[in-house]
Amino acid sequence: MSASIIPQLVRKDFRLMSRTIAMFGLVSLVCIGIVAALYGHVPTWMLLNLGFLLLVSPVGTCGIVILMKTNVFEKEKSTQPFIMSLPVTVKEFTRAKLLINLPLFSAAWLVISAIGFYFAFGLGLFPLSTVPFAAMIFLGGFLAYTIILCVSLMFQSLGITVLCIAIVEMATSGYLSTIAYLDPIAHHVAGPHAVWNSAAIAIAAAQVGVAFFLIVATMIIQNMKRDFI
Amino acid sequence: MHLPMAIECRGISKCYPHFQLRDVDLSFDQGTVMGLVGPNGAGKSTILRIVMGLIGPESGSVKVLGYSMPDEQIAAKRNIGFVAEDMRLYESETIAFHMDFVRSIFDSWDEDYAGLLLRRFDLNRNQKVKGLSHGQRVKATLLLALARRPSLLVFDEPTTGLDPAVRKEVLDEMMNALEDETRSILFSSHNTLDVEQISDYITFVHGGRVLDSRNKEEFIDGWRRLRLTNVNNAPLPTLPNIKGVQQSGRLWTVVVNDYDDEFPAEFTAAGLEVNTVERLTLEEIFLANVNFAKANAQPELAS
Repeated sequence: MSASIIPQLVRKDFRLMSRTIAMFGLVSLVCIGIVAALYGHVPTWMLLNLGFLLLVSPVGTCGIVILMKTNVFEKEKSTQPFIMSLPVTVKEFTRAKLLINLPLFSAAWLVISAIGFYFAFGLGLFPLSTVPFAAMIFLGGFLAYTIILCVSLMFQSLGITVLCIAIVEMATSGYLSTIAYLDPIAHHVAGPHAVWNSAAIAIAAAQVGVAFFLIVATMIIQNMKRDFI
Repeated sequence: MHLPMAIECRGISKCYPHFQLRDVDLSFDQGTVMGLVGPNGAGKSTILRIVMGLIGPESGSVKVLGYSMPDEQIAAKRNIGFVAEDMRLYESETIAFHMDFVRSIFDSWDEDYAGLLLRRFDLNRNQKVKGLSHGQRVKATLLLALARRPSLLVFDEPTTGLDPAVRKEVLDEMMNALEDETRSILFSSHNTLDVEQISDYITFVHGGRVLDSRNKEEFIDGWRRLRLTNVNNAPLPTLPNIKGVQQSGRLWTVVVNDYDDEFPAEFTAAGLEVNTVERLTLEEIFLANVNFAKANAQPELAS
């Protein structure tokens, strides 16, 4: 009788989001098709820009739309009292929200990263020396998403989440530019092969570590909340 | 068999920037109906949200069906059905979606009863929530709460904004839910007719405080309106129970609480002639209570 209802909450959100997921999945497939069709027919620089835009945008947008619908709109549209009247605590509610959002985005981001890597390095569009930096870009994208997810969960506010998206978007560009010009990274970008030096490993590990820390901190903060509607 | 109390709140307080719930005591047995009455902003919803574990009190203790809230809220909420006026369902989904969801959580879900309620409420399970009227939406949330057969039903302004026909349907179903003698209901309303109709106990809340809480008959029976003639403009006897005085020339109307058969004699002794002694409806008691509380709040505010 005291079994957790987290699986039911996750299934409910998945059913609620199924049309959104299907729609963005279809858009992503079309975008992948366009990138594949353009390959070999347009200059590399154009394929790079178009490819990044077409691969990343649908997944990023889908991640944001889902976190908005599952976290922010739950409060904005007053469905939260209905959910919280069920046998669930704030901690379980938060876990359920993380369990629907994180795996969905992570899986899509991994697939997109793999496809991006295949086009960039598998087909030889880019030198292998840029692999560490490309990995940092995709990990940076994941970190940016995690920040927005955690803020949306903690505040459940449309205004604060939108502000966070804007700040994170600007900060990510600045952050990646800074990394690109860091000596230990920049020095090897134009080299003959990928160099995973301590700086590259530390930056990549820090990105994963900060994302993990944010998720744990969100759980702790949510668990400390006394009022939840 | 000894059943724990349906609800047992002791000295609960909650502070907001512009509102304070102060030292609220509220308790009633299982198998009874408690009506929370009070004007808008009195603190009824805050009390219900604390009872549901949705917000935490700053002090005091809350036990629901013997479970300590909010620590044991999972066990407690397995036995509570909650319907609030501001509660919404997922607009893009059907009633059936919500029924499936709630059924997947509660082993106690009664499919036959859910079907019966669908027919009684004239709801179509395949209809999307966004197409429902306010009354249909309230009935749908009521269905979701009732069909899980909870021991305690907590309703926050369930009949607000409903037309008389739908309001009757909702109240009738609340009454039907009481066929199980151990089932309890705690509900808030500023519609005194609803409270008078189904409550066993009444708690009057105003300004974040419980002003009175007792058995309905005792509650209503304790109030009287005395119509007096004051020929000599005599002062009223100093009774602590006088809750309201109205003057129209020589005719005075006095509302008293905790009425005692000795009261008319007190007025007569003070030089007033008692013309009639009348009982009050809950609506009139509500207004007298609010006016008295407001009048007494003025010196507090001024100080």
